[in-house]
Amino acid sequence: MKRLLIFSGMLATTLGWMGCSEVRRDPGTVYMPDMNYSRAYETYASTEALKQAGVNYTATPVSGTIAQGEAPAYPYRNDSAGYAMSAGVKNPLDPTTVDLKEAERLYLVNCGICHGKKLDGNGPLWNDGNGPYPSKPIALVGDEKYEAMAAGTMFHSLTYGKNAMGSYASQLSTKQRWMVITYIKNQQGAKAAPAAETAAKPM
Amino acid sequence: MIHKHVFAKRFLILLISFLSVSFSLFAQDIAAGKALFMGKCASCHNVLKDGTGPALKGLEERHKWADHKELQAWINNPAAYMAKDPYTQGLKAKYGSMMTAFSEITLPDVDNIVAYINDAAIVKAVAPGAGTAEPEGDQNAVIFGIISLVLGVIALILMQVNSNLKRLSDEKDGLKTPAPIPFFRNKTNIALISIVFFVFGGYMVAKGAIGMGRQKEYQPEQPIYYSHKVHAGINQINCMYCHGNVWESKHAAIPSTNVCMNCHKAINAYEKGPKLYDEEGKEINGTAEIAKLYKYAGFDPNNPNQWDPSMAKPIEWVKIHNLPDHVYFNHAQHVRVGNVQCQSCHGEITDMHEVKQVADLSMGWCINCHRETKVNFNYDSTGGNKFYSLYEKFHDDLKSGKMDSVKVKDIGGLECQKCHY
Repeated sequence: MKRLLIFSGMLATTLGWMGCSEVRRDPGTVYMPDMNYSRAYETYASTEALKQAGVNYTATPVSGTIAQGEAPAYPYRNDSAGYAMSAGVKNPLDPTTVDLKEAERLYLVNCGICHGKKLDGNGPLWNDGNGPYPSKPIALVGDEKYEAMAAGTMFHSLTYGKNAMGSYASQLSTKQRWMVITYIKNQQGAKAAPAAETAAKPM
Repeated sequence: MIHKHVFAKRFLILLISFLSVSFSLFAQDIAAGKALFMGKCASCHNVLKDGTGPALKGLEERHKWADHKELQAWINNPAAYMAKDPYTQGLKAKYGSMMTAFSEITLPDVDNIVAYINDAAIVKAVAPGAGTAEPEGDQNAVIFGIISLVLGVIALILMQVNSNLKRLSDEKDGLKTPAPIPFFRNKTNIALISIVFFVFGGYMVAKGAIGMGRQKEYQPEQPIYYSHKVHAGINQINCMYCHGNVWESKHAAIPSTNVCMNCHKAINAYEKGPKLYDEEGKEINGTAEIAKLYKYAGFDPNNPNQWDPSMAKPIEWVKIHNLPDHVYFNHAQHVRVGNVQCQSCHGEITDMHEVKQVADLSMGWCINCHRETKVNFNYDSTGGNKFYSLYEKFHDDLKSGKMDSVKVKDIGGLECQKCHY
């Protein structure tokens, strides 16, 4: 009887052990919670408790202000009238002083996934129609319509989104968006006159 | 008779050549149509799905499009066509924008494009159902367990048999054996078992105590089954597309819902990737997970133009890599200045469906990397980070051969105050 009890106890423990999932879904405990978890507000923490305590957290900068070193704000709204006027907006950056290496990095990270490393509209998401994206991204180089498009119009589309493309205002600052436009215009020009590329390189 | 035979042969040849010519003409239609479609239409139209414009599958059954002249008139000048046509006015109202005019499209072009669309609609309809790979279960572990259990039982039985036989032979020889001591009363056994318990128990206690507060292998369930393998691995999306803040801030940004929607406004179904399973082996329906995203974003896939991104709600992802509050860590410092790859600390993210913590993020782990990693020192005036030109002593030591490389520990990577203050 006693032996049976011991045996069944051991069996139950083993089965219990085996039944536990090996996936760790629980972060576990810590030695000193007051040293481990921040009492101050942390990034991505909920601001609901602050609001209830009467502390209002502003998530956006004061309207009409521009951060130091930033490009001036884009003047037009997201409507067809704004789109029509956008061609008149000039690129505030001097194309000869733009850090094209950084601009290229921004393009490859944010745009290359659809518009392609070579700006030919064949990024990994399209991949000649074999990728998951259902519509073909436009070719920035090799399509006359987009080679002739004004920088301001491109900026408008980049800021507010156009057709299938979403807005990139949350991922790229105003200045960064103009840098990307400068890079695209530079690449379009480079294709038209390959000799000009070396001459236009800054530093 | 012979004459008839020759005639039949000629007829056959003629028939074959006619067939092949017509077939190649037909094939060229589709190829030419595909080229035109990809060049002019595909930015807004998909054959099977609504996009910026409607899905084009079966377009000949709609409106007057069976007549390709009507279709050409519409493509060449949508504004003029729409003025006297309520059907296309309805399309503009539904999709929110009017089609771009393609005045260079000729009637044969339209024929070719429609031929391609009809072809693509048929081929695509057959395609699904490919790639049904079953997950590999770890059957080996179970088999090994059963084998060792059986062997253990056999060993016990043999030992019992052995001792019984010995007693029998002893009795036969007339030797008197002392009464057998039960297993658990045997002092040697008790001593052995307690030593094993002590060592094993001590090991487990120490291991548990060290592991407390560390989260290696932590793999929480997220509100949406988001596969890093599908996004960053198969589809090659750059880590910084979503986590762009690593470049300029302490934190790697968690993307807001609109960043997901940049692509998922158009990609509304999971079709082309491998089958997905969660860690428990349950199959995941990718399309249903995208639908969860739409719920957070407040996006109606049947009515995409009505979407208001400002009404989106944040997705409350569970943070996996947590550092205690008394440790300072900065992503920009490591990724941008130090050129450290994401994978060095986060593991092979591009192979993980559900992300888990790979490094234990202990202090020893940090320090070890600081001891071994070389900084991007400007050994000469052409390369490296110009900031290090301040370090005159190191430049002198490098010249005199006292030092061969500058590591993170040399520029203060082991100082307490660098991370704890």
